[in-house]
Amino acid sequence: MTDAQEFETFMRNYQDMVFSTAMRLLANQTEAEDVVQDVFLKAYQRFGELRESKTVGGWLKTVATNLSLNHLSRYRSRWSFFSDLFGRGREEGDEVEIEFPASDDVEADLARAERRELVEQALQTLPAAQRVPLVLFHMEGLQYDEIAAKLGVSLGKVKTDIFRARETLRRKLRLKLGDEGLAGAV
Amino acid sequence: MNEHENSQLEAAVDRELKALPDRPAPQSLLPRVMAVIEQRGVLPWYRRAWQTWPLPLRVASMLVLLVAFTGLCFGSWQLVHAPAVAAATSEASGWFRTLSRSLSTLGVLANALVLAVRSLGPLALSGIVMALLLGYAACVGFGTLYVRLAFARR
Repeated sequence: MTDAQEFETFMRNYQDMVFSTAMRLLANQTEAEDVVQDVFLKAYQRFGELRESKTVGGWLKTVATNLSLNHLSRYRSRWSFFSDLFGRGREEGDEVEIEFPASDDVEADLARAERRELVEQALQTLPAAQRVPLVLFHMEGLQYDEIAAKLGVSLGKVKTDIFRARETLRRKLRLKLGDEGLAGAV
Repeated sequence: MNEHENSQLEAAVDRELKALPDRPAPQSLLPRVMAVIEQRGVLPWYRRAWQTWPLPLRVASMLVLLVAFTGLCFGSWQLVHAPAVAAATSEASGWFRTLSRSLSTLGVLANALVLAVRSLGPLALSGIVMALLLGYAACVGFGTLYVRLAFARR
C-alpha cells in the first residue's frame, strides 16, 4: 500500500470525528470543511509519526479544535458585536417544538436518531458565544479555566455563557426538569 | 433556577450532547484533500514549505544561510574600516542634511495645520469627528451585513 492509499484509509477512519468537532464549533459547513482540510494537510506532513501513534485521535481533535477557534477569532471576532446585536432576537425566539416519544416505543431507535438530529440542530443555532464554550465543556471535556484561557475571556464570562447556553437549549428543546433530569429528553 | 435544578440541567445537557454521534463528513471532503496533497506532491521541492524539504537539503540550506550571514557581517565590518568609506560617509551626511531640512519643513506645515484646526472651533471639530465616526460605523455595518450574507447557513 502506498503512502497516499494509507493516508486515504487513515482519513476515512477519522474524517467524521474531525468534521464533527469543527462543525460543532463553527456551525458552518463550508468553514468546517476548510478547517478539516487544514487538519488533514497538517496530519499528512506528520504522517510518518502519526500512523504509529496511539494518541492520533486526540491529536486530530486538538488540532481541529485549535484551528476552529483560530478561525473564529480571525474571521468573525470583528463582526461579533454587530452580529450579536442583530442576531440575538432571531436566535432566541427561534424555538423548536419537539415532542419526545416514549423510550419503549416500537420505533425507539428511529425516534432517538430524530431526537439527536434535533439536539444537533438546536446546538447549531446557538450564538457562537454560547455554543463554543458549551461544546468545549461538554464535548471536549475542558474545564472552565481552560476554556477561559483558550478563548481569552474571564472565568465568569465562561460560566455565564455556558449557563445561558444550557438554558437556551432547554428553552429551544422545550425540555422540562424532573427528578431524573430532563424529563422530556429521556 | 435553584442549585439542584441547575445541576440537573448540567447533567442532562451533558448526557444529551455526549450521546450525539459523529456527523458524517461530506463525500467531497476526501477527494478534495487528496487532490490538494497530490497537487503539492508534484511541486518541485524548492516550491514547497521549507519544513517539507528533504533533510540533507534543509541542512545544506541552513549552512548556506549561515555562511551568507557570516560573510555579510564580515563584509560590513571590513567596509566600515575601509579608507574609501570616509568619503562616502561625508557624502551621505550631505543627504541627511537635505532630509533634515525636509523634515523641518514638514514640521512647520504640521504646526500650521494644528493652528488651522484650533481656529475651526469646537462645533466644526465635533461635526468632523461625528462624520468620521458615522463613516466608520457605516463601513462596519455594511461589512457585518456582507459577512452575515456570506456565512448564512445553507
